[in-house]
Amino acid sequence: MIKESYNVPEETDLVTASLNGDKKAFGEIVTKYQKMVARTVKGMLGDSVFADDIGQEVFIKLYYSLSEFRGEAKLSTYIQKIAVNLTLNEIKRRKRFFSMFSQKGNNEMYEFEVADQDNEERKEASELVNKALQAMDPKFRIILTMRMLQGYSTKETAEMLDLPLGTVLSRLSRAQEQLRNILEKL
Amino acid sequence: MKASEIKKLLISSLNANTDTTDISGRLEESGISFDFKKGFSEKVMNKVFSVGITVNKEVEFVKSMTFAFNRIALTGVAAIVILLLSIFLMEGTISFNSFIGLSNNYDESIVCLLTGN
Repeated sequence: MIKESYNVPEETDLVTASLNGDKKAFGEIVTKYQKMVARTVKGMLGDSVFADDIGQEVFIKLYYSLSEFRGEAKLSTYIQKIAVNLTLNEIKRRKRFFSMFSQKGNNEMYEFEVADQDNEERKEASELVNKALQAMDPKFRIILTMRMLQGYSTKETAEMLDLPLGTVLSRLSRAQEQLRNILEKL
Repeated sequence: MKASEIKKLLISSLNANTDTTDISGRLEESGISFDFKKGFSEKVMNKVFSVGITVNKEVEFVKSMTFAFNRIALTGVAAIVILLLSIFLMEGTISFNSFIGLSNNYDESIVCLLTGN
């Protein structure tokens, strides 16, 4: 199980403490959820130079919107939604930028950095996943990221992306088709 | 994990009925992990709390400005009240003419003053 979360009272305590200016409490939230955010942001944007900046933005936005967090949903869900929104906005921004200044796709700016480079097989595996992700249409890529990297069910994916379940199901099948085509070439 | 197995895993993750909870874990075991660069949380904390200081400074500035405005406004209102009171005491009325200092002059004398006739 990879979906990180605290139990609710602990989560509420951390949020309350952070709202009262407790740096340590907020630091704990950052440490706990940074990997989850990294999976979404880096899965969507690749290991690009901007991914860390977007990741930081996610937590800055979280800090300033903590007062709006009512505890009805899990904190992880709340953070994940911020991460998804900021990442999709960044993709839109890049799309506009590249359509204005370049005819090339933006995949060329991704640099693939592998966590454990001493093993050739691991490096290849990492590159394969990154390349497959980045070659996908963003609307399918986010579905793959939510399912493969975050382990969300179809229903959870729909809730996370604010999409009807039917739309997610249809995108899953189209994404699978696109992924098959991409993987054949890799 | 071999490339072919990873490809199968990726494709199966897009099956609506697949239980995806352990896919990320299996990918991590194969060296596929998504992490921010070292010192990420420190950078976040610095940014969050340095921005906080800036915001606090802005709030302090606004508070100082409001305080200064209130002081100036109160002083101004007090000066106007004293002025009106002194006019009333000297002229016995607070008409427009007395306010602009014309209460003791007739219109004719002003015409004489201006034309010299």
